[in-house]
Amino acid sequence: MAMNHPIETKIYKRWFESYLFPSSLFMLALIGSMIQLNMSPKLFWEGIPHFFSLVSEMIPPNWEVFSKGKILWSILETLAMAFLGTLIGCTGALLCGLLGANNLTPSKLIGETVKRALAAERSVPPLIYVLLLIVVIGLGPFAGMIVIALGTTGMLGKLFAEAIENVDPKPLESLESTGATKLQIIRYALLPQVIPSFIANTLYRFDINLRFALFLGVVGGGGIGVDLQMAMSLFRYADALAITMVTLAVIWSAERISDYFRKRVIGQEVLQ
Amino acid sequence: MGLKGGSQAMLAIRNISKKLPDGRLLFKDISFEVKKGEFIGVLGESGVGKTVLLRCINGLTKPDVGEVVLNGDGEPQRINGKKGKELRAIRRKIGMIFQGSILVKRLSVLENVLLGKLGWISTARSVFYGFTDEEVSEALQSLNRVGIQSLAHRRAETLSGGEMQRVAIARTIFQKPHLLLADEPVSNLDPKNTEIVLDFLKPLTQDMAIIGVFHSPNLVAQYCTRAIGMKNGAIVYDGSPHLSEEDLRAIYGGGNFYSS
Amino acid sequence: MMKRYKNLLLFSGILSPLIVGSSLLCRVDLMALVRGIPRATELIIRMFPPAWGTFPDLVRPALETVQIAFVGTAIGAFVSFLIGLMAAHNIHSRRLLRQTTRTLLSAERALPDLIVVLFFVAIVGLGPFPGVMALALGSIGMLGKLFADSIEEVDPKPLESMAAIGATKVQMIRYALLPQVIPALIAHTLYRFEVNIRMSVFLGVVGAGGIGYNLVTALRLLKYQEAMAVIITILILVTLCEKLSEISRKAIIGNELLK
Repeated sequence: MAMNHPIETKIYKRWFESYLFPSSLFMLALIGSMIQLNMSPKLFWEGIPHFFSLVSEMIPPNWEVFSKGKILWSILETLAMAFLGTLIGCTGALLCGLLGANNLTPSKLIGETVKRALAAERSVPPLIYVLLLIVVIGLGPFAGMIVIALGTTGMLGKLFAEAIENVDPKPLESLESTGATKLQIIRYALLPQVIPSFIANTLYRFDINLRFALFLGVVGGGGIGVDLQMAMSLFRYADALAITMVTLAVIWSAERISDYFRKRVIGQEVLQ
Repeated sequence: MGLKGGSQAMLAIRNISKKLPDGRLLFKDISFEVKKGEFIGVLGESGVGKTVLLRCINGLTKPDVGEVVLNGDGEPQRINGKKGKELRAIRRKIGMIFQGSILVKRLSVLENVLLGKLGWISTARSVFYGFTDEEVSEALQSLNRVGIQSLAHRRAETLSGGEMQRVAIARTIFQKPHLLLADEPVSNLDPKNTEIVLDFLKPLTQDMAIIGVFHSPNLVAQYCTRAIGMKNGAIVYDGSPHLSEEDLRAIYGGGNFYSS
Repeated sequence: MMKRYKNLLLFSGILSPLIVGSSLLCRVDLMALVRGIPRATELIIRMFPPAWGTFPDLVRPALETVQIAFVGTAIGAFVSFLIGLMAAHNIHSRRLLRQTTRTLLSAERALPDLIVVLFFVAIVGLGPFPGVMALALGSIGMLGKLFADSIEEVDPKPLESMAAIGATKVQMIRYALLPQVIPALIAHTLYRFEVNIRMSVFLGVVGAGGIGYNLVTALRLLKYQEAMAVIITILILVTLCEKLSEISRKAIIGNELLK
């Protein structure tokens, strides 16, 4: 059977012919970066025995480190930062969400401004916030807590505004037709739809904030992060392991609790 | 225990039984043989086990008891119980088409046809190199035999249902198996496309045997050379594709059949 | 009517002591905020104009930050693909392997990144290498799960039909799975890249390389104008990377919808 057009085999025949250009570009960038970062296999080989000596020094964990209470205090500090920061943040987010949603906002200008402000907040890496805040109000968990609240408002505010905008309009319209006031409509038709997901998101953000609080400690924002870093840099590995284990336990429990509540909230929603 | 001497029995199914996961028996002691060039239409109510039977043949489902023996090239080979490389070596001699599309939607039609030969190509070559020029031209010829060579470079997902099944047939042609298993190949096509697809399917019997599962006795009468009816876990009919009302009642229970 | 408010009362009852307790722990000092306002204004004034002259020196650390995120994400994605294959139930039937992998992934996700970074710094010393490893490991937890889920969501018929005609698992993965799942994998990876860029900025503080270190140093040395320059650099960097990632993701999804 004669073919009356040339066989276009190139595209299908050899995979690397079609993907050759982009993949070699990618590999070039990758290997180039690795070289620039001094990521040599030598480092890796040298690291392995180091790894084992590290592990042997870590075990058994030194529980003595908790005897003076300071470490426990730091852990509680971390929890408090995350908790309060999330709480304040989600309150702020509620406000921003209500103002920012374009079906609820008193004026379009306010709505736009709020949304832009939230977006701007989100685009700045929190490191910048925390360092500047420390200069202004000093080291400690207060600064960390504010940064957490800021980040929470930014993320939850956006999610909340979107949720309000995506709400099912039918219950709202039907209430409106029976003569309810705007406030009543919000309370009885709008909020029930968005509150469950808002709570779920808040709990999710709490998990994120908890881990984040660890990081903040290292920068001076209070909490256990700095204790952990100090322990490691002073080569007190057994201390570090003890701290790590308790911190992990705390984080894990907090996440279990938040998971539990989240399931309760979502479960209710499903039932509705 | 050889196969029936004389005319080539390509596939022999002996006493296979299969239980459902909940313990109930699906079918028991099914046996029949298939010769090259036959086009068997399997009929039966939904759930009677037609698809499972087909899948027992190429090992996608394992029968609890019994034997399935393939003999395409003079050497009988047991299928069930084989694993890995041996299983693959047999499977590449059996083609399969499902209801709905088996094609990889994001690949082109031509690429999909080429996949038919993967059982014959080494893994290393297929992954790092791809397909040779000869294979590509052969694939195009297969597409030609089902009349859609012009669609060779279109993405598979842009095709209609009937066209996709024709690509599946082209892939089978390319694969050159001894046996083709077709599980309800036309059940979700409109009558016109059903006719087109089956018109392309039937000529394949020159090179292989086909076992197809169908819902419509009309189609079986029109295209198949032999019909097998299943009911209550056993074969209740095995013979001419033209079934009488009585035969159909035996397979389906009461009602009017030739209306579909 | 009391019943409706009972829950609310209970809630507030538990919440209030928590709030008070946390405020004390955090050393919430509203006076500090008040005092901070003039300090903040002073700070902002002192940060302008930014030290434009330092920008050339910032290029290298900025690039390093991006590279750390890039390499970390790339390594994480490659490994996550293999792990995703191990964890997906439509690829192989070894239940034990699948469940173990999924459990390990959960455990890994529970590890805070800080701990991973500190750990690696302790092993290989300061510099970008521990940063890359930390980002890679951190990515695996999330990407591994996302990849596994995406792999499980593909249309099973092409995979099964290829197994039916004698293809090996690798061939099945290469020709039936990959074409279906690659857009989703790339989208997940790009998203993780955005997360990792932010992480990478932070890593600089711990000594794991990148521009974060420059910012901390500048502030410690009270060189506010240089700090402002670093801040501007960071903002440009992060915004650029996010825009790039967003464009790439839209291109991939757009590609899908077009065809």
